[in-house]
This record gives sequence, C-alpha cells and structure tokens, in this order.
Amino acid sequence: MLPIESFSIYIMFCVLVPLLGSFTLLFLFVFEKRIDLLERQKREIALERELQTALYNQLNQEIQPHFFFNTLNSILALARLDRKTELIRSIETLSKLLKFKYRTINNFIPIEDELTYVNYYLEIQKTRFRDRLHYEIQLDKHVNKAIIIPFLIQTLVENAFKHAFERHIGNAFLKINVLKIESSIHVSVWNNSFESTETSHSDGGLGLENIKKRLELLFPEDETSVQLRNEGGGTAVLAIFPFVIKSEKLEGEKVQ
Amino acid sequence: MKKNDFQFYISGAFHLGIGFGIVSLLSRWVTGNTILSSPETLIKYGLTGGIGYSLMGALALILFGILAKKIRDRFHDQQTIGDVLRERLTPGGYWYMISILLVISIHSIFVQAMGAGILLHMIFPWPVFSGMAIFLLFCFFIGGAGGMQRIHQLAGINVVLIFSAVIIIPVYFYIQEGVYPVYEGIKLYHPYILYVKNTEAIWFIFTAILIGFGQVIVDRASWQRVFIIQKEKLRMTFTLAGLIWATIPLALSSLIMIIIFGRSYDSIYSLLFELVGKINSTLLIVLFILFCFSSISSAISAELHATVTLIIKNIFDLLHPLSNKEKWRYTYIFSGIICLFLLIIVSILPPNPLELLFFFGNIYASMIVPMLYIILGNKTLPALIPLASIIGTAGGFAALPIVENLITIWISFFISSLICLVYFIYNILKMKLSYKFSKRY
Repeated sequence: MLPIESFSIYIMFCVLVPLLGSFTLLFLFVFEKRIDLLERQKREIALERELQTALYNQLNQEIQPHFFFNTLNSILALARLDRKTELIRSIETLSKLLKFKYRTINNFIPIEDELTYVNYYLEIQKTRFRDRLHYEIQLDKHVNKAIIIPFLIQTLVENAFKHAFERHIGNAFLKINVLKIESSIHVSVWNNSFESTETSHSDGGLGLENIKKRLELLFPEDETSVQLRNEGGGTAVLAIFPFVIKSEKLEGEKVQ
Repeated sequence: MKKNDFQFYISGAFHLGIGFGIVSLLSRWVTGNTILSSPETLIKYGLTGGIGYSLMGALALILFGILAKKIRDRFHDQQTIGDVLRERLTPGGYWYMISILLVISIHSIFVQAMGAGILLHMIFPWPVFSGMAIFLLFCFFIGGAGGMQRIHQLAGINVVLIFSAVIIIPVYFYIQEGVYPVYEGIKLYHPYILYVKNTEAIWFIFTAILIGFGQVIVDRASWQRVFIIQKEKLRMTFTLAGLIWATIPLALSSLIMIIIFGRSYDSIYSLLFELVGKINSTLLIVLFILFCFSSISSAISAELHATVTLIIKNIFDLLHPLSNKEKWRYTYIFSGIICLFLLIIVSILPPNPLELLFFFGNIYASMIVPMLYIILGNKTLPALIPLASIIGTAGGFAALPIVENLITIWISFFISSLICLVYFIYNILKMKLSYKFSKRY
C-alpha cells in the first residue's frame, strides 16, 4: 500500500502539473511568434547569402569575355549583314537578360519568370550557335505560378553550354522539363552530351551545391534534391522541390 | 476566402500555430469522457490507473502527431478524413468506412450529451429537457452553424476555464482539508486505490493506449485539425497537446479523492459532478460548472462540426453535387437534426451514466491497423482492409463470453492486424510473381 509520503508526492504532482501545462501554453502564446520570426530571419539571411553567392557565380560564369564577345560578334555580324530586325531583337534580348540578372533580389520567383529569363538566354545562344542548337521546353500547365529559386534552371542551362555544347562539336540538343508530380515540382535539364558524372561534379559542383543549399533553405520542412545523372544518351540534372504557389508562400510567411 | 464559402465553414481562414493548435486540440479532447472516465479508472485500477489514463491520452495524441506529418505530406489537398478515405479506398470500402465513422460520431456525441444531461440533472432543479435545449442550441450555433472559425473563437475561453478549474479547485481543497485526512479517509473507505503493485492496472494501461490511439486515429475533428495546423508545427503541436492534456485527468483524479475520502459512493460515473455538493464557495461552484459545461460543449461542437462536414462533403456532395448555398442549407438542417435527436434521446432516457471506458473499445482497437494501412500504403486498397475492422470487432465481441473485457480488445486488434498483414504479404507475393512473369515473357 502506498505510504503517506508517496501519496503526498502523488497529490502534489497531480495539483502542480496543470500549472506546468498552463505555463507551457502561456509561454507558447507569448513567444511563439517571436521564435518563428527569429527562425525566419535566420533562414532569410542564410537564403540571401546563398542568393548573393548564386548571383556572384552567375555574373562570374556568364559575363565572361568568352560569352560576351561571342555574343557581340554575332550581333556585329547581324549589323554587317544588315539584318536589322534580328539585330534589334538580339540587342533587346541581351539588355533584358542583363536587366533581369542585376535586378533579381527576391529569394523566390514564379517559374514563368525564371523561364522567361532562360528564354532570353537561349535566344542569345541561338544567335551564336545558329542551327546547331535545338532546344525544347516542356511545362505542365499548372506550374506557371509555382515558385522556384532564382537562377535554378538558368544555372543548369548554362552548365549545359559550358560543359557540353561549347566543348563538343556537333548538334546541341537541350530539353527542359518542368513537371508537377504529386506535390512536387520536378525540373530536369537534359543535354545530349554524355559525360561522366564525376567530371561534371568537379566542374559544375559549386553551382549544384548552391542550388541544393538554397532549396533546403527555402523549403526547410520538405524534401528537396538535386541529382546529376546520365540518361537517354546524355546528361541530365534533376531538381525536385515542393509545389508551392507564390501567394501561398507569402501568406504562410505572414501567418508565421 | 469568403466567409460564405463552405470551405470557410470546414477549415476557417487561417493555418494555426503551435499555441492555437494546442488550444484547438485541447478543447476537442477535454470532453465529458475525460470528466466521467477519470473516476472510473481511478476506482477500478487505483492510482496506477489514474496515471495510466493520462498516459493513454498523451501517447495517443503523440503517436497521431507522428502520423499527422505523414498524412499532411501525402494528402496535402484534402480537408477531412473522408477525403483521404475516398482517395485511398475503392467505393465499397469508402462507403463502409463512412458508415462506421458516422456511427462512431453519433455515439460519441450522444455520450457527451448524456454527460451534459447528468450534470444538468444533478445541478439544476428544473427538468433536463429545458436545460438540454439551451445547451444544445448553444452547441448548434457554435459547431453546427458557426463552423471552424467560431469553434476557435471559443476554444481560448474554454481552455482558460479548464485550467482555472483544474488548478484552483484542487489547490483550494488540499489547502483546506490537508493531504493527511484525505489519505486516512481513502485508506479506511477505499484502500484498494492505494495498491500500486497492480498487474491488472499495467494491463489496463496498455489496452487503454490501444483504445486511445484508435479513438484519435478515426477522430474526424482531429483529422480536420491536421489539415489546418501549420505543416512544420504539426508534430510539436500534437506532442505538446498530448502532454498538456495528460495534466487534466491527473488533476481530476486528485479531485475525485476529495469527494470519496470520507464516504462510499453510489455510481462512479457521476462522482465528479458530486463535487458541486462539496464546494462551499459559490465562485468555485460556478467555475466548476462552467468548466464541465464548456468542456462538454466544446467537444460536442467540434464533433458536431466534423460530423456535419462528413455528411455534407463526403456523403451528400458525392451523391448529388451541391452548390455552396445548398451546402450551407444542409449544414443547418443536419446540425439541427442531430441536436434535436440528442435532445429527445437525452430527455427520454433516465440520467444514468453509461459504462464509457471500454464501450466501443473493440471497434477503436480494430480500426488502428486498417487506418495505418490506409495512411501509409501506396495503392488503392480493396474493401477487405476496412472490413478487417468489423471482422476484428466481431471477433472481439464473440470472445466476450469466454475471456475478460480487456483481452477481447486485444483479440479485435490482432484479428484486424492479421487480416491486413495477410493482404500485405499476398500483395507483395503477387507483385513479385507478376514481375517475374513479365520478365520471362
């Protein structure tokens, strides 16, 4: 039988635990928003830092003399040939490309914006590569407004040019697929150059690592992944992240 | 979302954080059963039983919290348990599960309403009918017609009342009486409560965990909350709600001892309500009555809301697609019908408490594995999986004359688990064989 001492402790416990429960609840009410805010700020700072790195990588990679002079030469050739419409279009596209690059400061953008930017880039590359370059973009109709980290597709496309098309002669095939599978977005960028994944890792590894980090920071609670693999006689990079509409993301942050 | 949109009725306008999530879950789970079953466990299984009862609730909610994350990940577009069942089951299995859920819902609301009826009968001199009419009208406006937003508006007040009562009243009594006289009184009148080396109590705790988890896993209201609490906070919310909930039956069991320490009792089910006669302070009487009514009304409102949502969204809308306006109209009608039904039944039946603890225990225990299969499985499941629950329940009931109550619950659990396991193995073998066959040809 329980002695009086143990019984007293039992009663004390029974009487005091609701106090503990109510204090926990009170604490949550007072501090939950602040804790959320701190966590969000921490994540935003990290995300911004990664974005800066991505921007730096982008500028470093792309506004390289190689790309820039080739593009300028192509534009010059258009001017010499007096192909005015194409010339204007090329200069306009180059200007839009640079504008987008310098103006992007958000941690996430709609997929349609990212693809517009990718299209500018591909248009310029088309003036350089002409008939050698064939590309197709396949997009699920529901994913237009879904969010993506800026420069995700762009980095993958640029890697394809840098590591595949500019190194090898022959036709350059590029396929961009943006699909919604269950609750995730699958972005895959495929090119027809078959490279060992290890070589690609060492070269384009930094860009992929940055994408991986930024996806983890933007979707801390969900599963994200970036994989480089050889498939269909070429090389593909597949990035998977959750399907979130821009308004939902903004609303979610407001609620937090 | 517009306020007159039916989606607003189902899930309200906002996603809840941990604080509000806990409040919402507490207002759902501190029910008439908590108030009425605590004395039963304490008296049947002693102090160990009292702790076990708290442990049951805590573990049930914590375990469901682990599942909640998975549910939200896999069924992110859904809003109710019915939506998920529809996605995962064949039409036959779906309609069977919906009927079982309806029966459980109506029974659960009925038990709550009976609790309220007993309380009214004990406290107020006027007939139960008039008191019940006012009480159910209140529940109708909150849960039936008000929707999730209205339920959450009152959940805060409800939780404040619960904690005020379970903190202030025991402290008041133990300061007034002291622990020693209570101990001596219990030793004299109810010494069995003080026996802690009670193997039956351990057995009870494990069975209670099984029933509790079964109860939560098929609870329509908890499922709705899974879809309105912020996803990243689901697990933490359910874990903390479980731990905080566990403190309430503990405090109630300390109150029971105050009531019974100097005397015997007639019915263990209405013991806690007899506290009204023990309290001298009017303020504390009011607080205690408010606590009882607010816990029961919040539980009925949440259940009523979930049941009506199930009827409109997962039954009527499927049979005959409804416009937004029609959905609202049927909501009022069905809430009204359920409240009226409760009013008539509770007024007709004598205010005798029901044996609560293990009633429906077999159904809840046999629901666990089929529900887990539904949540975690990959393919559309045949009607056999939901039917496993009724086979398990029937098996448990069939064993009732031979073995004791607690064991039948385990029998129900094992039968339904076995059926699911056999189907699972059969499915794997079938897949392997078809794979081999396709490889060969």
